[in-house]
Amino acid sequence: MRSIHKTILLFVLPMILAGCQKSEPIVITSTDFQNEVDKVTEIMIHDIFSPPVASRIFAYPNIAAFEIITQSDSSYRSLAGQIKHLSPIPKNEDPLVNYQLAALIAHMDVSKSVIFSEERMESYRDSLYQVWGKQNESEFEASKNYGLAVADYIKKWMDSDNYKETRTMPKFTVITEDPSRWQPTPPSYMDGIEPHWDKIRPFVLDSASQFKPTPPPAFSLEKESPFFKELSEVYNISERITAVGDDSEEVQIAQFWDCNPYVSVTRGHLMFATKKITPGAHWIGIAEIATRDSKSNFNETVYAYTKTSIGIFDAFISCWDEKYRSNLIRPETLINQHIDENWKPILQTPPFPEYSSGHSVVSGASATVLTNIFGDNFKFLDDTELPYGLPIRTFSSFNKAAQEAAISRMYGGIHYRAAVENGLQQGISVGNLVNERLQMKVE
Amino acid sequence: MKLILKYYPLLLLLIFGACEQPEETLFQLLPASESGITFENTLTETDSLNILDYLYFYNGGGVAMGDINNDGLADLYFSSNQGKNKLYLNKGNLKFEDISESAGVQGTSSWNTGAVMVDVNGDGWLDIYVSAVVGINGFEGHNELFINNQDHTFSEKSAEYRLDLQCYGTSSAFLDYDLDGDLDFYIVNHAVHTQESFGRAQIRNVRNEKTGDRLLRNDGDTFTDVSEEAGIYGGVNGYGLGIAVADFNKDGYPDIYIGNDFHEDDYFYINNGDGTFTESLKQYFGHTSRFSMGNDVADINHDGWPDLISLDMLPEDDEVIKSSEGDDMYQTLKMRTQQYGYHYQYSRNMLFTSQQGNSYLETALLSGVAATDWSWSALFADYDLDGEKDLFISNGIPKRPNNLDYIKFISNEQIQRSLNDSRLIDEKALQMMPSGKVANYFFKGDGQLHFENVSQKWSSAQPGISGASALGDLDNDGDLDLVTNNINESASVYINTTNGKANYLKIELAYQGKNTKGYGTKIYCYANGLMQYQELYTVRGFQASSQPLLHFGLGNLLKVDSLQIVWPDRSEQILKDVGVNQNLLVSHKNTHPSIVKAVSNDPLFRKVDDNLGIDFVHREDNHTDFNYQKLIPYEVSDRGPCVAIGDLDGDGTDDIMIGGAKDQPAQVFIQNTDGFQRIDYPELIADSIYEDVTAEIALQEKSNTYSIFVGSGGNVISPSVKVLDDRKYKIEGSQLKKENFNTDLVNTGIITSWRDLTFIGNYTSPLDFGKIPTSYLLKEGKILQSFEALGMITNAIWDDFDEDGQMDLIVIGEWMAPKFFKNMSGKFKEVHPLKEKLNGLWQAIIPFDIDSDGDMDYLLGNWGLNSKFSASSNAPMKMYYSDFDGNGTTETILTIERNGKYYPLLGMDELAGQMVFLRKKFNTYEEFAGKTIEEIMGDALQKAQVFEVHKLASGILRNHNNTFTFEAFPGSLQISPIKEFVKMDFDGNGKEEVLAAGNYFGVIPFHGRFDSFPGAMIYGDRQYQLGSELGLNLMQKSVRHLKIIKISSKPYLLIVYNNNKAEVYEINP
Repeated sequence: MRSIHKTILLFVLPMILAGCQKSEPIVITSTDFQNEVDKVTEIMIHDIFSPPVASRIFAYPNIAAFEIITQSDSSYRSLAGQIKHLSPIPKNEDPLVNYQLAALIAHMDVSKSVIFSEERMESYRDSLYQVWGKQNESEFEASKNYGLAVADYIKKWMDSDNYKETRTMPKFTVITEDPSRWQPTPPSYMDGIEPHWDKIRPFVLDSASQFKPTPPPAFSLEKESPFFKELSEVYNISERITAVGDDSEEVQIAQFWDCNPYVSVTRGHLMFATKKITPGAHWIGIAEIATRDSKSNFNETVYAYTKTSIGIFDAFISCWDEKYRSNLIRPETLINQHIDENWKPILQTPPFPEYSSGHSVVSGASATVLTNIFGDNFKFLDDTELPYGLPIRTFSSFNKAAQEAAISRMYGGIHYRAAVENGLQQGISVGNLVNERLQMKVE
Repeated sequence: MKLILKYYPLLLLLIFGACEQPEETLFQLLPASESGITFENTLTETDSLNILDYLYFYNGGGVAMGDINNDGLADLYFSSNQGKNKLYLNKGNLKFEDISESAGVQGTSSWNTGAVMVDVNGDGWLDIYVSAVVGINGFEGHNELFINNQDHTFSEKSAEYRLDLQCYGTSSAFLDYDLDGDLDFYIVNHAVHTQESFGRAQIRNVRNEKTGDRLLRNDGDTFTDVSEEAGIYGGVNGYGLGIAVADFNKDGYPDIYIGNDFHEDDYFYINNGDGTFTESLKQYFGHTSRFSMGNDVADINHDGWPDLISLDMLPEDDEVIKSSEGDDMYQTLKMRTQQYGYHYQYSRNMLFTSQQGNSYLETALLSGVAATDWSWSALFADYDLDGEKDLFISNGIPKRPNNLDYIKFISNEQIQRSLNDSRLIDEKALQMMPSGKVANYFFKGDGQLHFENVSQKWSSAQPGISGASALGDLDNDGDLDLVTNNINESASVYINTTNGKANYLKIELAYQGKNTKGYGTKIYCYANGLMQYQELYTVRGFQASSQPLLHFGLGNLLKVDSLQIVWPDRSEQILKDVGVNQNLLVSHKNTHPSIVKAVSNDPLFRKVDDNLGIDFVHREDNHTDFNYQKLIPYEVSDRGPCVAIGDLDGDGTDDIMIGGAKDQPAQVFIQNTDGFQRIDYPELIADSIYEDVTAEIALQEKSNTYSIFVGSGGNVISPSVKVLDDRKYKIEGSQLKKENFNTDLVNTGIITSWRDLTFIGNYTSPLDFGKIPTSYLLKEGKILQSFEALGMITNAIWDDFDEDGQMDLIVIGEWMAPKFFKNMSGKFKEVHPLKEKLNGLWQAIIPFDIDSDGDMDYLLGNWGLNSKFSASSNAPMKMYYSDFDGNGTTETILTIERNGKYYPLLGMDELAGQMVFLRKKFNTYEEFAGKTIEEIMGDALQKAQVFEVHKLASGILRNHNNTFTFEAFPGSLQISPIKEFVKMDFDGNGKEEVLAAGNYFGVIPFHGRFDSFPGAMIYGDRQYQLGSELGLNLMQKSVRHLKIIKISSKPYLLIVYNNNKAEVYEINP
C-alpha cells in the first residue's frame, strides 16, 4: 500500500509541477484598465475624498501606468521633462516583463497608497495576482517587480508635490465681518475645504494663478448692481424650475451633474451623508466611455485617461487658487439673508467659496483634452451616473457636455453666472495648455 | 459521578465563600410578580414607523404618581406610546391592582407621551392629563383629560376644558402663573422638521400650531390659549423635551425653564407678574446643554435658591464617546452663536447652582454629573435621608442613532439608494445601530456641589431603557421610592430600604381655592442650623409627575426647629419644634403676610457707571489658534489685554496703560482732577499691529522717569514685521520714545521689574506649541541671566520667600511646577522648596499669609477642576509633542489616564484631521474607540517629548518653615481657570484679603466654556465668599487683570477682560 502511494506521488507530482510551468502569455486589455480605475473610483466614494484630492488620486496612478507604456511603445513619449519635476522612470532590464501588466500593477500600487481603505484595494489586487500567477508565474513576477519599482519611483516624486505639507496647514479662517466673504453653508456648515490647494505642484501650469479669471462682478446688495442681478438670477431660475418640478429639464441637468462626494441628509433622528462621485470622476468616466466607444486598445486607453487626469488635476489647482483669492459668498447664504429665508438650492452647496465654479473649470479642461484626443463631435451616451440612480444623457460632443455641466451649477442654485461662464473659459485655457505643452503621442 | 456528589456540599460552600455577600443596596427592585405592576411600554417598529421616520420614536411613555382615591396610598399611572395606558391602584403592602379598564383611563390616542396627575378642577381629587402626538406618522387622537369621578372611575373631558390639543406633545405642566388661585397649563411640544439648517434663531418667533409650546390660562371652567400675549415662543424649531417650573428669582411668581433638543436654545421664561413672561436665557446662563432632555429643580446647597440640572447625552464610557457624534467644530459654533443668534450649547449634562437668582454657576463636570449617557429624567431628592439632595438619572435608548460607524454605514451609496427606494433595508439599518442600554444612575450629594456616583451601591438594576420617572412614598415608610417607565421591559419600581434608619419629615399641603395641593408653596425647613428649601411642583424629570408632597431627610436629628411655609398668595405660617418621622398635612390657616427679606443692599463692590473715564473695550482679532494648530489643548493667542498702573506724568497720581489686541492700539489714561483722560500717542497707534499681553510701568531710578514695558503675544508670525518683539516706551514730553527688546520669536508671558532688574518670562514659540523658549533676567536692560527652556512662563513675582532680606523671584507657567529663584547677592539660583510634584497650568500667583501664622504663603491660580482634563501626581495628564507624521510641522496630543491606561482626549476625526496616516490605520470608529495612545500612535510615540500636569486645582502653597505643601481651594473656586489675584484690605477691617477672578473661553466646543466663576474673596483659611454675593458681576466674562487704582487716596477696582469692556468698581462704598 505504502509503496503504491509513493509511486503515485512520484508520478503525479512532476505532472503538477509541469502543469504549472506550462504557461501562456498574460493578456491585458483596455477593459482590465477600465475595471481597475472603476475600482479605485468605488473606493474613493467609500472613503470620501474632496474633489481636489480626488483629482490627485486619479492622476498619479495613471502617470505611473503611462510611463511604463512609453517604455515599450514608441508611439508614446514619456512625460519626463514635460511635467513638473518628473525625471525618467527606471529602465527595465528583464525580457520577461509584460509592460501592460506592469502598468496595471503600478497603477494599483500607486492607487493603494493614496486611498484610505487599503484592504479593499488589496483584496482586488490579490485576486488578480492569483489569476496572473497561475497563468504565467515568471512573466507575472517579472512584470510585478518592474511595476512596483516604477510605482515606488512615482510615489517618491509624488511625495514632493506638497500634498503632505498642506495637510497640516491652517484651516480656513472664516471672515464674519465682511458680508461679501464666504460663510459655511447649511446643512453641515463644514469648514472650507482645501484652502491651500494652490500650493500643490501643478503638472503643466507655470503657476496656480496662470489662468486667473477676470474677477466676478463687484459685491453689492444694490438691486441694480450686476452682482445683485446675478444673485437674483440664481433665485429666479431656481424658483421657476422648482415650480415645474423634478421633470423639469433644468432640474434633471442639475441633478445629473451634481457630483458632490458628500451630501448631508437628515432623516428621522439621523444625520448622515449620501456619497457620489466627484466632478473629476465623472470626466474620468466620460474618458472611459470614449475609450470604449472608440475601441481603444490598452495603450490608447491609458494615454486618454492619463492626459485627461492631468488636465483635471491642473484645473483644480487653477480653480482653487481663485476660490480662496476671491473668497466669494455662496448664493444660498445671501438669498437666505436678503431674499428668502427658507430658500434651499436644488443641489446642496458644497463647502468652499463660490468663484469660480469647480465643475465648470474641470469640465472645460476635460472636454478640451478629450476633444484633442478623440476629435470634436464625438457623440456619446453618458451613463456615468447610472449607479447613483440618475438617467443616461446623450451628448453630441465633449464640449457640449462641458457647457451643460457648467450651466447645471446655476440650475442647481450653487453658482452665479460669472462663476460658470468664466470658470468654463478658465478650464478651456488649462486644457489648451495641456494640449499644447504635452507631447505624449507621436502623431 | 460519585466523587462530584460527595464533594458537592463542599463545593457549594466554596462558591458562596468565594464571592462576597452582595451588600444590600439602598433600592430594591420590586418584581412585577409581587407588585402586580406589569405595565411595559412595548414599541412595535413597522416599515413606516421607526426611529428612521420619527425622530422621537424612542422617547418613551409617561408616568404619574399620586393618590387618586384619597386613601393615603400613592397610586400609579403609566402612559404607553402605542398601547393602552394603565392605572394601578395601591392596595397597601406594595400590592397594586390594575383598574385601567374600569376606571376608563386607557386612552384613545395613537401615540401617548407625558402623563400628569393634577387636580385640574379643584375638587380635591387628582385628575389625569395625558399628552399625545397627533398629526404625523398617521397618529390620531388628542391630549386627554381624565376627570376623577371620585369613585375609582374617570371621565375624559378634555374637550369640555378645551385642553383637547392636537399637536406634537411631549409633556405638560400645571402652574398658577397669574396667581389668581387656579392652575394654568403649559404644554411642551416638539418639532420634527429636519434639523438640516439652523435657520436663524428668530424663527422661534413664528408660531407653529403643531410644534410650538403653548400657555393656556385657566378661566374657571375652560382654558384659553394666551401663548402669544404671554410671550411664549412657538416656533417650528422648538424641540421641547424638558420643563421645570419654579420661582427661580423668588419674586413670588412661578418661572419656567424649557429644555430644547438639538440646536434650539433652551428657554428661560421669567414671569413678569403681569401675565407675561420674558425669555431671558442668555442673561442668566452662560451656556446650556445642547441636546437638552429632562431636567429638575432643587436647592442642592442650602442657600434657599432653586438650582437646576438639565440633561443631555454624553456617555461616560470612552468607547461609546469615541464612536458617537461629539460637539460642534469651533468655527461652526462660532457661526451659530455670533451669526445665527443661538446661545452656547454643549453636549453634556449641566448643573446650575443659583447665585441668588441672578446667575448660575455651572459645575456638572466638577460635580461629577456631566456624563450619564442617553439621559431622560433627573430627580433630585434626599434618598438616603441624610439632609442632602441626591440625584437619580434614568437613561438608555434601544438604538444609538448617533453612532459614527452606523452613520458611515448608511451613508454607503447602495444602502442609501435602497433606503430611498424601498423599506426593505430598514430592518437591516435598524439592526446595525448599536444598543444603548445603560443602567440608571444614582448620585449621593454632599451639599457642597459634589455628587458621588453610587449607582452600584444603591441599586443592582441591570442596563435597560428607562425614560419617564416619578418619585413618592409608595409604602408610606417615610423614604422615597422611584418608578420608571421602560421601553420593551416592565416598569421598574425601586423601593427605598432606608426604612427608619434615618429620620424624615413628609409634608402634604391643603391650600385654598382650586389649587388644592398648593402648587408653588415654598417650605424652609430649619433643623440644627441647616436650612433646607423646597417648592412644590409635581411635574419633574421627564414626561412625568411625582407625588404631590415635600420631603425632607433629617439624618439623626430628632426635631425640626421651625418650618416656614410660604403659600402662593405670599402669606406664610411658621411651625415650631416639629417632630420628625411624620406625615404632616399643613393647611392654609393662621397665616400672616410674608415679609420679603430685603437682600443686603450694601455689597462690598458697586459698579461705577461712567467707568471714571476709562473707556476701553478689548476687541480680540479674528485669529483662531485651532485653525493653525488643530490639536493644541487651548488657545495661546488670547492672553491679552494687559494693564499697567503707574505715575506716568509724574504728578503723584495713578495713571493707566491698557494694551490692545492685534490691530487695536494700546491706550494710556492719565489721571486728572475729573477722573481719567485718554491720551492718544501716535507711537502707540502705530504699534497697533502688536498684540499686547503683558505690561509694566517701571520707575527708572537714575532718571526718576517712568518707562512702559510691553510684551507681545498673539501666536502669529508676520513675514514683514517682527510682531512678537517686546517694546519699551519712555515718555519724553508729549512723545513716546520706543525701543525694541526681547526680540526672540516668541509669545511673551510676563515682564516684571524690581528696581533695575527686569524678568522676561517667555511663554511659547509661535505656531509651535510645546517648543520651550528661553526666558531672561535683565539688569539695566542688559542680560544678566538666561534661563534656557525654563518653561511656558505665564507669570512671575518678586518676593523674598526665604526672608533673608534679598528679593527673590518666583516663576510659574503651564506644564511646569512653580519655580523658586533665590537671590544670592545679585545672582538668581533655583532652589527647591516644594515637596511634591506640582506641574500645573499655573496662571496667577500672589503672596498671602492665609493662615496668619506670620510666614508667607502663596495663592496659585490654575485650570480648576470643572473640566474634561484630569490629573494627579500618580496619573498626570500627559501631552506628547513631536512631528508625528514627519511633515515638518509639530503636533501635540493630549492624553488622560483612565484605569491605569492613557487615552487621547480627542476622537479619531480630530486626530486624523491632523495626522492623516491614522485614517489608514483605523477603518472604523469602533477600531479606534477604547484604544490607548500607545496602540493608536505606535512607535511614533517613542520620539515624542512628554509634558505632564499633576495638579489642575487652584489652591494654596502653604509655608512650613520655607518648604511648601499644596492645598486645593474648595469646589466653588475650581469652577473656571483663575487668571488673576489682587490683594488689599477691601472691607477695611485692618487685614488684607485676596480677590480671585478668572473664566476662560479659549477652548474647543468639546470642553465647553468656563464662564460661570463669579470671582471669590479669600479672607483666610477656609473663609471664602463668591463675587456674586459681593456685588461683582464677572459671569460670562473672561477676566485678565484686577488692579487697584487710587483716586485721591480712595481705592477703586479696575477689571480688564479679554474681548470685553473694562469695568471699574467702587470698593466698600
